[in-house]
Amino acid sequence: MERETAAVLLQHEVEQFYYAEAALLDERRFAEWLDLLTSDVHYWMPIRRTVMNADLDQEFTRPGAMAFFDDDKAMLEARVKKLATGYSWSEDPPSRTRHMIHNVRVLAVEGEELTVESNFHLYRTRLESEEDSWIGRRRDRLRRVDGAFRIAERHVFLDQTLILSRNLSNFF
Amino acid sequence: METPNAKQWVDFEKGLVDRIIFSDPEIYRLEMERIFARAWSFVCHESQIPKVGDFFSTYIGEDRVLAVRDKTGGVSVLLNTCRHRGNAVCRAEQGNAKVFTCPYHGWSYGLDGELVGVPGHRDFYRSDLDKKEWGLARAAHVTSYRGLVFATLDPAAVPLDEYLGEVGRIGLDFIAERGDVEVVDGVQKNVVACNWKLAVDNLFDWYHPVVSHRSAIQSGVFPRLQDEEVAFAPMSQMVMLGEYGHGIGGPMISEEVMAEVRAHLDDPDAAHALARLSVEPWRFRAKAHETLGPHGIRSRGHPSIFPNVWITLNGAQLCLRIPRGPLSTELWWFTFANKNATAEQRRSLVRITTHMFGPAGLLEQDDGENWDQCTRGTIGPAARRYPLNFAMGRGHDRVRNDGGQRRIETVVNEHGQRWTYRAWAEWMDAVDWPDLRNNHSPAPSGAI
Repeated sequence: MERETAAVLLQHEVEQFYYAEAALLDERRFAEWLDLLTSDVHYWMPIRRTVMNADLDQEFTRPGAMAFFDDDKAMLEARVKKLATGYSWSEDPPSRTRHMIHNVRVLAVEGEELTVESNFHLYRTRLESEEDSWIGRRRDRLRRVDGAFRIAERHVFLDQTLILSRNLSNFF
Repeated sequence: METPNAKQWVDFEKGLVDRIIFSDPEIYRLEMERIFARAWSFVCHESQIPKVGDFFSTYIGEDRVLAVRDKTGGVSVLLNTCRHRGNAVCRAEQGNAKVFTCPYHGWSYGLDGELVGVPGHRDFYRSDLDKKEWGLARAAHVTSYRGLVFATLDPAAVPLDEYLGEVGRIGLDFIAERGDVEVVDGVQKNVVACNWKLAVDNLFDWYHPVVSHRSAIQSGVFPRLQDEEVAFAPMSQMVMLGEYGHGIGGPMISEEVMAEVRAHLDDPDAAHALARLSVEPWRFRAKAHETLGPHGIRSRGHPSIFPNVWITLNGAQLCLRIPRGPLSTELWWFTFANKNATAEQRRSLVRITTHMFGPAGLLEQDDGENWDQCTRGTIGPAARRYPLNFAMGRGHDRVRNDGGQRRIETVVNEHGQRWTYRAWAEWMDAVDWPDLRNNHSPAPSGAI
């Protein structure tokens, strides 16, 4: 019973962390969002391909191969700095985004680190009629630092192969 | 619209281009026939399909094709459409196959496209179907240039060498001169709601970076871009224009700097010792000088292989602008690494390329919306009364020919764009390859 209660509380804590993170992103509080990432964070989105069942080992590119995002903290800070320059045209006027996080599953707990998978739906509209929708899976390593979660690794697996948008100028 | 007189839309002398060519469906349909079904198109790099049965799925215009490593070790380029009902015989982007079997009725094709299996051939067709006649359609010609595979769907096309000419060849040599290269696994693909030509003409555009990409520059992540005078070299540009619409345009290395490099060719320590020159190590190789020529070696420009290949980052990447309707274009990025690169060098290549280009790249993020909105700006009947302006530099420059390589040395300009649209009109007006071959403009000389 005690173990189950702890699991429920952990699940709640992780979900609340993700909801708070989503709110920061949707409210464009990117500097605060950066604080949720550890200094050694790896933020990565591989390329997905349509392959036959027999070639499923090639569905995603592997670490070190080409990707859409392959960022460390400095690069993510540069992305945020870019948004704040006043010249970041693809986000000025800003996109309207909504991050929905679902199917949160804590897969492993090792010491201060958790491996968590979740599904997401990132919806974006901008200008008059532009509409983009990205659905996929995130596999995170969350690290407890001073009693709060920080993201030490985020691997984002989109369900699109050909990216159906003009760019990926938002965070997942 | 069989004889469009496309020159009515492109005024090369004045540098004006009619907006109609960026959104008219009839013009688009004719582009598919007169440009993409005729031209030599980049298909893939040999390193993407090393083993027998490896395939890579791509497009030549609106035609879906498969590049396949066949049993002879060569590359077959096959139209990916069953000869029975037209279904795709391969729906994967890449992989390995023994045969391509249509999932509709089961016609199956060998790696060279030969029809090898027809369910019910005896009982239903009563053996009255000559399999030899019903193989997958093959590209008319396939030629590999230093590992880069090109194909044309037109049997009357000139050979690839003639098609590329010196300028197109130098463009491809930017990739090949990096050494023994291979494509890093993963082709980034995304779609922008723009006409393909607006994406193509941007590759010559050294006017837009300091405006479009100001935020990327100010992000501080690309130290070289911080110095706009060095990175974009607005006051020292070189443009080389070739037949059939090929061109190279962008920053150049000065004669003075190149003279220092020439004094240290094939010296393994030179690039490091002369780091202050900021010249890439491969430009210290005598062979690169021989291949690219005395002025080609000085170019840091962007090569364009007509109609839709862009080579960038000094040959580290190749981007295809694939037309998917008059108002839609797919961008496909191929990244080339030296096979002998260390893990650290490869890592650095992957990072710099993903951080700059592809849909999440800090530079490219800001391009798509511009082209999308430019395309929309070509639809309204009132807007169409006003041609687009490609006149920058018109009449102010000269094509130099000293040293045996024609080029314009100048400031930021729109010579490359103007040349591309002139060639586009010639392709559109030519009724066939012999007509195009006989009547296209020679590379320009003199005042331009």
